[in-house]
Amino acid sequence: MQGTIACHACDLLVDVSELKTGQRASCPRCGHSLTRIRKDAHSKVLAYSVAALIALVTANAFPFLSFASSGLESVMTLPQTPAMLWGNGLPMVAILVAAFIIYIPATVLVLLILLCMPLRGERWRPWLKPVGRWVFTLQSWSMVEVFIIGVIVSLVKIMKMATVTMGLSFWGYVFFAILFTMAIAALDKYQMWQEIEALEEQRG
Amino acid sequence: MAEVEGSTAKSEGLASCHTCLKLVPEDTHTCPRCGSAVHQRETDSLQRCVALLITACILYIPANVLPIMYTDQLGKTEASTIIGGVVLLIKLGSIPIAAIIFIASVMVPSGKLIAMFYLVWSVKSHSQLSPQQRTVMYQVTEFIGKWSMVDVFVVAILVALVHLGGLLVIRPGFAALAFAGVVIVTMIAAEIFDSRLIWDQLEDNNDNSAT
Repeated sequence: MQGTIACHACDLLVDVSELKTGQRASCPRCGHSLTRIRKDAHSKVLAYSVAALIALVTANAFPFLSFASSGLESVMTLPQTPAMLWGNGLPMVAILVAAFIIYIPATVLVLLILLCMPLRGERWRPWLKPVGRWVFTLQSWSMVEVFIIGVIVSLVKIMKMATVTMGLSFWGYVFFAILFTMAIAALDKYQMWQEIEALEEQRG
Repeated sequence: MAEVEGSTAKSEGLASCHTCLKLVPEDTHTCPRCGSAVHQRETDSLQRCVALLITACILYIPANVLPIMYTDQLGKTEASTIIGGVVLLIKLGSIPIAAIIFIASVMVPSGKLIAMFYLVWSVKSHSQLSPQQRTVMYQVTEFIGKWSMVDVFVVAILVALVHLGGLLVIRPGFAALAFAGVVIVTMIAAEIFDSRLIWDQLEDNNDNSAT
């Protein structure tokens, strides 16, 4: 059954063998998107992932927001966000928040780089399969874009209480969120596994 | 992109690997391509989904009753619940933000629970909605799941940002944990629900009418 996909939403068999670069296929019965063959997918994913990782490091290194009222000022950094929850007796929530906004997205980016470097150079690597399995599962648990909305809502909530200033890290995180979303969007599951399979066959 | 005679993987005796989309014979246990476990349909999808939904409903009670946040201002402590936060925002005149929080923290989690219960029920009974409509309903539910975390993130940010000695300090409440629990448990429930079961009904009906 080469070139056929069973729709993940409704199980209909769809022949995608005729699909050309730049075209997308969706299920004729339920409309679920099946695959999209992109040009230079790996180079794009690689470029976005590396840039996103750099932005994430920036987002962790500088003040994120600062809050000043009546001559007093408090500064918040990104790693402090979960740390303060931990310090206030909610370690579980702290771990979840840290995972959703920093560690899961960071791991996804590293996995994407490990995946796209060999795929781009068409070289077989023994980690391709385990990394390919993990990257999509982990990706569904990253909440980068949700956190951005959380920051905006927080700003509005406290704007009237005091002066809030956005730090360098805030902009770093916004860039990171955009690049992360673009990296994920450029990767196609079906295409990726076809290529991993082809590389494995070549090797053996 | 031609349809293969309108047949499904199941009706052809095939199973699709959840991880890599490879089609394998239905009696395969491990995908030959990526090494993941293969199931033609998610095992005990409906039972596991209902169990998680009930868990989420139970967690939903402390999430709404207990305070999600405490504000210590000049020696006075004020506790606020999720709904209390929305009411406060309306009073402050921030209607759009009140709407975001209300949608993300009240409408999305409760709507999602109702939608998932309905979908599970619809697989076992006759639904007014077409499989197409229910698939869209499922996909919307799955997509919006993580957006409910907004309120937990807001608490995390405010706690990290607002600590001005004796003047103004914000502390998190236990509802943040319960609410994060609701979001995560419903996300897992949505992942476990197998939307292909909605369409299997269609084939079963066709089989019945053919015989």
